[in-house]
Formats: sequence, C-alpha cells, structure tokens
Amino acid sequence: MNLRNPRLPLLVAGAVAAVTLPFWAGDVYRVHLATLIAAYWILVSGLNLVVGFTGLLSVGHVGLLAIGAYAFAILAGTHEINPFVSLVIAGGVGGVCGFLLGLPSLRLPGFYFAMATLAFALIVTEVTLAQQELTGGGAGIAVPGFGGPFESPDGFYWLVAGIAVLFTVFTWNVSRRMWGRAMIALRDSDVAAASVGVPVYKVKLTTFTFSGVAAGVGGALFGALQSYITPETFVFELGMFFFICIVIGGRGVILGPFVGTIVLTALPEFVAPLANLGQFFYGALLLIVVLLVPEGIGHVFTWLRERRSPRTTDKQVVTPDLERLAAAIRAGREA
Amino acid sequence: MLTVLVTGLAVGALYAAAALAYNVMYSTSKVLSLTTGHIFMLSGVFGAFFIGELGLPMPVGFVGAIAIGTLFGVVTEFVAIRRVLARSDEHLWLLSTLAVATIVQQSVGLWWGTEPKPFPRLIPQDFSAGIWDQKYWLPIATIAVLVVGLELFQRRTLLGKIFLAVSEDAFAARARGVSVNRVRALSYALAGILGAVAGFAAGQLTFAYFALGLTLTLNGFIALAVGGLGSNLGAVVGGLALGLLTASATYFFGGEYQQTIAVGLLMLLLLVKPEGLFGAKRTRHV
Repeated sequence: MNLRNPRLPLLVAGAVAAVTLPFWAGDVYRVHLATLIAAYWILVSGLNLVVGFTGLLSVGHVGLLAIGAYAFAILAGTHEINPFVSLVIAGGVGGVCGFLLGLPSLRLPGFYFAMATLAFALIVTEVTLAQQELTGGGAGIAVPGFGGPFESPDGFYWLVAGIAVLFTVFTWNVSRRMWGRAMIALRDSDVAAASVGVPVYKVKLTTFTFSGVAAGVGGALFGALQSYITPETFVFELGMFFFICIVIGGRGVILGPFVGTIVLTALPEFVAPLANLGQFFYGALLLIVVLLVPEGIGHVFTWLRERRSPRTTDKQVVTPDLERLAAAIRAGREA
Repeated sequence: MLTVLVTGLAVGALYAAAALAYNVMYSTSKVLSLTTGHIFMLSGVFGAFFIGELGLPMPVGFVGAIAIGTLFGVVTEFVAIRRVLARSDEHLWLLSTLAVATIVQQSVGLWWGTEPKPFPRLIPQDFSAGIWDQKYWLPIATIAVLVVGLELFQRRTLLGKIFLAVSEDAFAARARGVSVNRVRALSYALAGILGAVAGFAAGQLTFAYFALGLTLTLNGFIALAVGGLGSNLGAVVGGLALGLLTASATYFFGGEYQQTIAVGLLMLLLLVKPEGLFGAKRTRHV
C-alpha cells in the first residue's frame, strides 16, 4: 500500500474505530448490529464481485446464505463437529452449491439468469421446509455458538469482523489485478472481452463459485449470530436487500457497497418509521438511485469532489498557422 | 384425478395470461418487466376490496379493478421504463421494474395485510359443484376469451398492426410517423387490462394475496421461456403445460417440491432448446 495515499489516515481511523467498537458502542444491541453488518458484508463482498464487477444480476443469494447457515447448524449443532471446521465446511458447501447453480444458469442471458437465481432462492425455501428431519422444517433449528472466547458478543464481533476483513482484502486484491480487469471487461462487453482472450464462462463461473463460498461463510456466521433459524429468516426480500446494497453503493467499487451495507442495515434500526416501512423503503431507495444516479451513490461524492476542486488538466491549445497554411496551399496549386 | 386436471388447467391458464402480459409489454419495449405478476395481484386485491369490503356491486368492482390494473401499467411505463430506456445502459430496466414491483408489493402488504383474504363469489353458485365450480371454469373461460381477443386485436385492427410494426422495428415505425412512446405506453396499459381481467376472474382461485405477484412473475416467465419469447401461442402452451405439470406433481409427490420441478423443467428445456418451443432464434450482434 502506498504510504502517501491521502486516504490512509481515513483508513486507519476506520480500522481503529472498527477494532475498538465494543468499547465505545455502549450497548450490547449495537455490538450485535455491528456483527450482523460484518456477517452481511462477508456475503456482499463476494456478491459484489458478481454484481458490481462481473455484472451478473443475481437476486437470489439469500438461498446460498440459507444453505451456509443450515449446513453450519446441522454440522455444529446436530452432529457436534468443531464449529471452526463446520464453518469451513459450510463455506465449501456454499461454494459447491454456487458452482452447481452457476453451471447451467450462467449460460443464460441477463434476465433469464436473474430469474434463475430468484427461482433458486424459492427452491431453497421449499426444500428447507420439506426436509423436516434435517432442517426442522417450518419450526426451525437452533444454531450453536463458537464457544470459548467467542461466546461473548464482543468476542464474536471480533471473530466475524476479522473474517470480514479477510474477505475484503481478498476481493480487493482480486478486483484490482488481472481477474478484476477481466470481470469489468466482460461486464461492459462480453463479446469484446472474449475477443481479447478472456475466458468469459470460466471467469463468470469462478466468480460465482467464490461468491457462493462467501455466502456460505457469511450464512454460517449469520446463523450463529441469530442462534435460531427458520425458513422464514431467509425470505426472498433479504436477497434483494443484498442486491440493493451493491446497486446503491455503486458498481465496480468496494467501498461503495460496504457503506451501502452499513447504512441500509443500520438506518432502519435507528430511524423507527423506516423499520415499519421495511422493504418499501429499500424499493423506493432503489428506484430513486436507478432513476437519478444509476452509477450509485458513491458516484455523487466523486462528482461533488470534481466540482469543488476540478482536476487541473494542461490545456494545449493548438492554433493553426494560417499564413503558412495558405502559403502551402498556394504552393500546391502552382505546382 | 379429474380435479388435478381441472386445477392444472385453471392455474395454467393464469400462468398463460401472465406470459401473455409479458409478451405484450415485451413486444413494444423489449423489456421483461418484473411487475407483470403484480398486475394480477393488484386486480385480485382491489377486486376483493371493492366488492368484499366496500360492498360495491360486482360490475363496478370489475371496472374498478381494471382501472387499477391499467393505471398500474401506465405508471410502470412512465416511471420505470421510459426514462430508463432513454439511457443506453443494458439491464437498468431490470432494476427499475424490480424497484416498482417491491414498492407495490410492500405497500399492498402494509395496507391490505400479509395474509391471503377470500375473494367474493362473482356468480351465485353453491359450493357443492366440485370441478364445475366457478373458481375453475371462470379463469379458463375468461383467459380463452382474452387470448382470442388479443390475437384478433393484433391481426385485425389498425392499432394492433401499429403494435406489431413497433415490435418489429421501432426505428422504422418512428420514421413512418408512429409515436413509439405513446404506443409503448398503450401496450403497458393493454397488459394492465389483460392482467387485471385475468387476475379478477381468477381471484377465487388465488385469493387476494399480496405475495401472489412474485409467484406469477416467476411462473409466467417460466411459461414464457418454455413457450418461446414473443410467441403468443407459445405463451399459452407453456402456461398450460406448466400448470398441468405442477398440479400433477402436487398430486403424485405432494406439494413440497412444486417450484423445484417447475424450474427443473425450465432448465432442462433451455439447455436443449434455448429459444423455447415456439420462439424465434435470435442471432447475436457483434
């Protein structure tokens, strides 16, 4: 990282605030909320590569979240496997399911793909309701915690936040190197990307599988945080919520969706009337953003910064030397 | 067994109507609107509200529900389609229609409640008729009339021909003096009328339920994708096939895996025949 980066002080301040959060939050519920945001962010960071960078409109990631949470609950709860091993397996299961979902559906054009992911989310709900012995059906299933130092809300917060940082660093590294360039290229034009040698389907499938891993891990931590999950926990609207976080934050960046996740999760908790409106608020926000700033709210800040301190560009005015030109033409005519 | 067949046909007719509404909107705007199912939901809910709660006579409630559906279609076009199509960004319409669909579904959920409420009887008939109950034949008959009406409209009237012209080539139609924007708005109104009539007729089958929209948006799309995008015949065949399949799947395997079977069928068909049964093959522009 460049030490003279002007954003560095901000980054350090953010990191310090995040690490010390349990000390100044002053309220167990706020720590819970911060843990929830971190668990969501693990999923959103993976989904961001899919939606924001690769441009695949997946609205059904809540299905993968549910799979991760149920896998963790069944392994760590019913079979009493070590929670950390279960966490890794839950991520693996999420990845495999993402792979299997992506295998047929990534061949489909945009809207068909969105509908396939929507259907996937509904199918997962159906299966969790039907498989009573495994998932407890509609009554739900208890999810164990991580035990030891991670049993307390503060300890669990640090665990989830730590994993979230890992995923952030991973996606950040992916996004700014060759893979990220390939994703952006095929988002903007898959034909052009294919023509310069980007393996379009392979990139899509790998990205989608990774987002499945992220959703599995996020789901496992989300389940452990909720401590009891039912199919009702994973309604389709939650999948839309993740999607909206990214669209509102802006496509092709990491900070935007991160801020989007924080704001959209925290805002209804602190502003009571918004909590009553629930999904209505998200829908209205999405409509406003799509109609006014399709590039995402993050774009507004860029625009404001450009207005306040416009980038100075060297103007090189080229004035034609008219006399020389006329002379040249005249010379040409005479010749 | 006969009940399964009749239920399947009635539900399938509803899916076919949703697929037709998709088609009508798609033909002029090349947009697959996620609000399609919500037209039906709005019509069902407002039908139940006008007749059941306000106690209005049936024809008034019917006209009211159609008015709501038409209004919703036009508002969708105005808010979510017109401005977005002016930009070149692909798939932005997916987000805007998703937003409108969410707003509508949640407002209805907040206002009407999230529990399904019964839809009033439209024609006096006691409940012992079994498979001849009006909740089955009414949607089937209504949607059959709608299909024929739509076909006649598109082939026999001048306005219908203008619709087809815009659908074939919007630029050429504009060059011949057709107001493409107005035709698009009209097609959304038409889809609103179609969805409202079908949703009202099927109200007793679906109940006045706020989450119906999402189910119909998905299943109507599956019917459309099976039948082939842009083909009205395909929409009807796909819808009926899907309805019969889910009904018999419920009969043989229980109701738990309805959606799974429907989507499995779609995936299988799309892998074998990506353009659907009756769809035109699309060539990729490079």
